[in-house]
Amino acid sequence: MALVEVRGLKKAFKKGGETVTPLDGVDLDIYEGDSVSMMGPSGTGKSTLLNAVAGIDPPDAGTITVAGTEITSMSRTKLADWRAEHLGYIFQTHNLVPVLTAYENVELPTLLASLSRSERRERVELALEAVGLTDRADHLPRQMSGGQEQRVGIARAIVMNPTLVVADEPTGSLDAATSAQIQDLLVRLNEELGMTLLMVTHDSEVAQLAGRRLQLDGGQLIELNEPHAAMPSPTSGVLAA
Amino acid sequence: MFKFLPYVFKGLWRHGMRTFLTAGGAAVALFVFCFVASVQEGLNRLTDGGDADRTLIVFQENRFCPTSSRLPEDYARTIREVPGVRDVMPVQVWTNNCRASLDIVVFNGADPQQLRENRGLTLTSGDWSAFENRRDAAVVGASLARRRGLSAGDTFSIGDLSVQVAGVFTSPVAAEENVAFTSLEFLQYTRGLDSAGLVTMHEAYLTPEADPDTVARGIDDALRAGPVATTTRRKGAFQASTLSDLVDLIGFAHWLGFACVGLVLALVATTTVMAVQDRVKEHAVLQTLGVRPGRVFGLVVCESLLICLIGGVIGTAAATAVLAFGGLAVGAEGVTIAFRPSLSLAATAAGVSAGVGLFAGVIPAWHAARTNIVAALNAA
Ligand SMILES: Nc1ncnc2c1ncn2[C@@H]1O[C@H](COP(=O)(O)OP(=O)(O)O)[C@@H](O)[C@H]1O
Ligand SMILES: [Mg+2]
Repeated sequence: MALVEVRGLKKAFKKGGETVTPLDGVDLDIYEGDSVSMMGPSGTGKSTLLNAVAGIDPPDAGTITVAGTEITSMSRTKLADWRAEHLGYIFQTHNLVPVLTAYENVELPTLLASLSRSERRERVELALEAVGLTDRADHLPRQMSGGQEQRVGIARAIVMNPTLVVADEPTGSLDAATSAQIQDLLVRLNEELGMTLLMVTHDSEVAQLAGRRLQLDGGQLIELNEPHAAMPSPTSGVLAA
Repeated sequence: MFKFLPYVFKGLWRHGMRTFLTAGGAAVALFVFCFVASVQEGLNRLTDGGDADRTLIVFQENRFCPTSSRLPEDYARTIREVPGVRDVMPVQVWTNNCRASLDIVVFNGADPQQLRENRGLTLTSGDWSAFENRRDAAVVGASLARRRGLSAGDTFSIGDLSVQVAGVFTSPVAAEENVAFTSLEFLQYTRGLDSAGLVTMHEAYLTPEADPDTVARGIDDALRAGPVATTTRRKGAFQASTLSDLVDLIGFAHWLGFACVGLVLALVATTTVMAVQDRVKEHAVLQTLGVRPGRVFGLVVCESLLICLIGGVIGTAAATAVLAFGGLAVGAEGVTIAFRPSLSLAATAAGVSAGVGLFAGVIPAWHAARTNIVAALNAA
């Protein structure tokens, strides 16, 4: 069974008199350990799909099941608990809390679990080490570079060892050199730590890093390569009707 | 929840000036609130105390200012005969100001022996023999002594009066500590009073089983044949009617106290609303990380509560200190209301701060908790 199963996902917005339908019956399966990139022109609905999978933007219709749990019917509070346990979210801009140090920012998600102080410290230190920022633990966001801030954001996303990591244009606001560092880091998360990754990007270079590439167009997903084609699963890949 | 306290404190600290000003505003308002409430408490003490019900004041009919009430001193003999009267103390009153004033100085002239028996005074310095043996000696109430910087051995002059301070006393009746006692003759012969054989009023003390109103009627009836008609009332009622102008004012000031509470509410709510507006995105990020909406609500309320409570406690502490060490009193026509701090007042003020802080945070907190996460994340 796929780790993430999206079925018949629909989402429409009313804009003025018009109705925009960025998601028009999207189906998607993501398997454990997958690294999936999603491309497409601006405004096609990539973020909308990612946020639905992340459980912060409920769809109009359809279901999303993650690790056997259907999240589309959950209350806001249940969804929060689910995210705390299963989801890591990497933002385009780091979105760190400006008054907290790197360490404290990474610690935030661990405060939500029933962990002892030393367990928390262990996890935070591990996450900071994974992004190579152990020596910046006591720095405030404004004392760090854009790339370092984004790495802290990534450490915060992975500190609880989530079931699924989503990233919305994680290199979207970085220069080329810094972007390359972040790309390396994302590849390592997937390959070395085995984290399942779903990321949105408009940068084809970044998209190439992923084992599996999708394109969102006209409210439907198109598979650009077929990594699971060998699998005899009828639900693998794109099921655009 | 406590795990997030550092986050709350840092949140307050990030707009240090705003937090400081808001807490300062809460402090000032709670200071005023305590002051107003303490005046109200002082007034209640005057009219509710045991002393207020078990002592009768015999005053000249239709007179209010102590300078205009003149009763024969020997009325005391007639009053003592009335059933239910245990003792009578003729009192001469002198005040520097018959109108309402914040620095009223009241002298009561009475027989030292009777004074000691009937008023329950405790000397904190000086001694009674010095008071009894010297014609111009006075014992001074602790509040008055504090306000005027008096201690035993000093000479205290005001207007035509000049007395030697023989001691400073405390009293179970707070308002009494604004009074200075001298011997009866001394005040009677003071220039300007010239009331040999006359006194301002008689204080009648009741036997335990006597009904105050029946005795009061008895006294007025017995004295009707005398040269000057009298009105006899319970001490509490007498003081309340003497202070009736002030009572109205104090009733009005009470509304000022409520207005202060409203002010703090508006102030803290404004600050909390601003803090939430500043952090729409941050609260959305927290929720994305898995912080429950209910917890976001709690964090915002906690912030609002802390600001209000810190300010309120500082204001209450300042008011308590001023009330305790200022020796302040307001009075009119020889009757004073003591401003005193009290534990119940401080507790009420702290409770009010906490309540206002919670209430001020509720609506902004609700907004922070219910905000659309995606829209807030996309906000600039
Ligand atoms: N809250 C909203 N209200 C109205 N329209 C929205 C809203 N959110 C997204 N849209 C519209 O939905 C479409 C998809 O948006 P989005 O998922 O952000 O696109 P992408 O991430 O692919 O650039 C866009 O046309 C956008 O204008
Ligand atoms: Mg987008």
